[in-house]
Amino acid sequence: MAEDKFDRGSALTVFTSDRYEDVMALVLSLLIALLVYSFI
Amino acid sequence: MLYTRKTVWPLGIGVIMVAYAYLVQSGALADLIKFLGTARHVGEMGVLGYTFGGIAIVAGLWQLLAPPKEEGNADYFLSMVGGVVFIMIVAFIVKWGLDPLMGQWGRAAQPTLGFNFASVMNLNYVVMGILAGIIIVNVFKVPGWAENGVRLSRLGLKTGVILLGALYSLAELAHLGRLSVVLIGVFVLGSVGVVLWMGARRNMPNSMTGVLSAGVGVCGVSAAVAAAPVVQAKSTEIAYTIGTILLFGVLCMFLFPIVGKAMGMGYIQFGAWAGTGILNSAQVAGAALAFQPTGIETLKVAEIFNITRVLFLPIIVLWLAVWYVKREVGAQQVDLVQVVVGKFPVFVLGFILMFALSSTGIFAPAQHYQGSYFDNSDKAMTTKDKDGKPVSKLLNDKDLATLQGEAGKVQRQDQKAALQRLVENKKLMSIDDDDTLRGVVNAKLMSKAANDVLVKAHRAVRHTAKKIAMFRDLIAWFFTFGLVGLGMQITMASIKQAGGQPLVVGSIVGIVKALGSLLVVWLLVAETI
Repeated sequence: MAEDKFDRGSALTVFTSDRYEDVMALVLSLLIALLVYSFI
Repeated sequence: MLYTRKTVWPLGIGVIMVAYAYLVQSGALADLIKFLGTARHVGEMGVLGYTFGGIAIVAGLWQLLAPPKEEGNADYFLSMVGGVVFIMIVAFIVKWGLDPLMGQWGRAAQPTLGFNFASVMNLNYVVMGILAGIIIVNVFKVPGWAENGVRLSRLGLKTGVILLGALYSLAELAHLGRLSVVLIGVFVLGSVGVVLWMGARRNMPNSMTGVLSAGVGVCGVSAAVAAAPVVQAKSTEIAYTIGTILLFGVLCMFLFPIVGKAMGMGYIQFGAWAGTGILNSAQVAGAALAFQPTGIETLKVAEIFNITRVLFLPIIVLWLAVWYVKREVGAQQVDLVQVVVGKFPVFVLGFILMFALSSTGIFAPAQHYQGSYFDNSDKAMTTKDKDGKPVSKLLNDKDLATLQGEAGKVQRQDQKAALQRLVENKKLMSIDDDDTLRGVVNAKLMSKAANDVLVKAHRAVRHTAKKIAMFRDLIAWFFTFGLVGLGMQITMASIKQAGGQPLVVGSIVGIVKALGSLLVVWLLVAETI
């Protein structure tokens, strides 16, 4: 996939920066951990 | 630019997913599930099939009937659903179809070939996920309606690495011998250093060298993924690293047990060597079991060394962040604080955070080992039948008579003593006794009936924390999702561009590490650590 196909993010990510992607992964993980802790 | 395309595909995939989940839940696919041996996945087949199928149907209908007419967040995020469900349906096929099927073929061909090719070649969902992605992009191309969503795969990999932290706990650190930490530390840091040095000498791109050094130094997929952002590695470079590690690991899995036996190594020596010298976790376990099929002493030592490597991950990532800034910017002095604030990946901190959370015991008893823990208290030894009446898990008189009748077949003193304690107490009294008697089961010293009693005693005191088991399943899914998507970003042209250098450098460092650790283990490690 060429880099210029996307005007947001890059060919590797939909996010505007790596840091933003990291934070989203962290938020998602903490949310999952909370759900696992609460319901399993 | 407008991302959303008017297409029927997400809707179609959604219908297939929901139909599959329905057929599984209704029992119509019971024969197929039995053949593949995937009965334990029936629950997740229903949950994931309905969830992703439902999302795909709703988004697919919107995309088909009323697609956004102008650029904006609605257009951007709606167009991602196609890519996500495209990856997920491939992941379903890999995880519920190809993975178990390959396992079946491996076992079926074992009598003819003399080995299980699926296990030896590591043909599990990790490898098949990447391969499926590579085949799709190179043979069929990723469809336009899925391209935007495929870029979410790295988010999946990062989430998988963070959740991985939940599987480990501080209590495990207490079990690590000082020698394992020192030995692993020297070889992990040494391997990273040598790869960085060789990469520079052979003019490899800094991003390729960086990600390869983490993969070869620490171990496999997680390390490659964790190091990739700090060195701005491309998908091809991550895949190349994983490929190099797995290929080299296959060789090691065959050669290590042969060399270990030829040199007359003990269990602890071989476990230390395999845990240090072999690059991939699954292959460490394979080599340890091949060396000692009749017990688990070697496997336990190898796993301890293997876990120690994972704990070096944050240190390696920090090192690579500083190294990369120096190489790319050409700066002689690097402000460490600035690098950490600007470059250190937040998701590696997330890994540490999850590790810390898990160590508090909120997901499983604090002394758990990857979710498994020992408990022989009265409460744990009582269960309830289907009518709600309490049932004891202690061995009954018939079980005890079976064990006593065959006790003479056990000759090793430690095994005899553990068996004696089991018979006296009607339950296993310690983790050590449990491990010792698992060795008796593996060695098939007694009859099947007696072994069944030992397995029953083992199951009565070993418990799996449901929360950790859930984390394991989720991690496997995030990795499958991420790796299928990663594979979809790897074209043949990009593989050719990477050339054969990474394979050469990875193999040389792998061989040096294997030989170096053999020498050190042979000279320094006695039968006890």
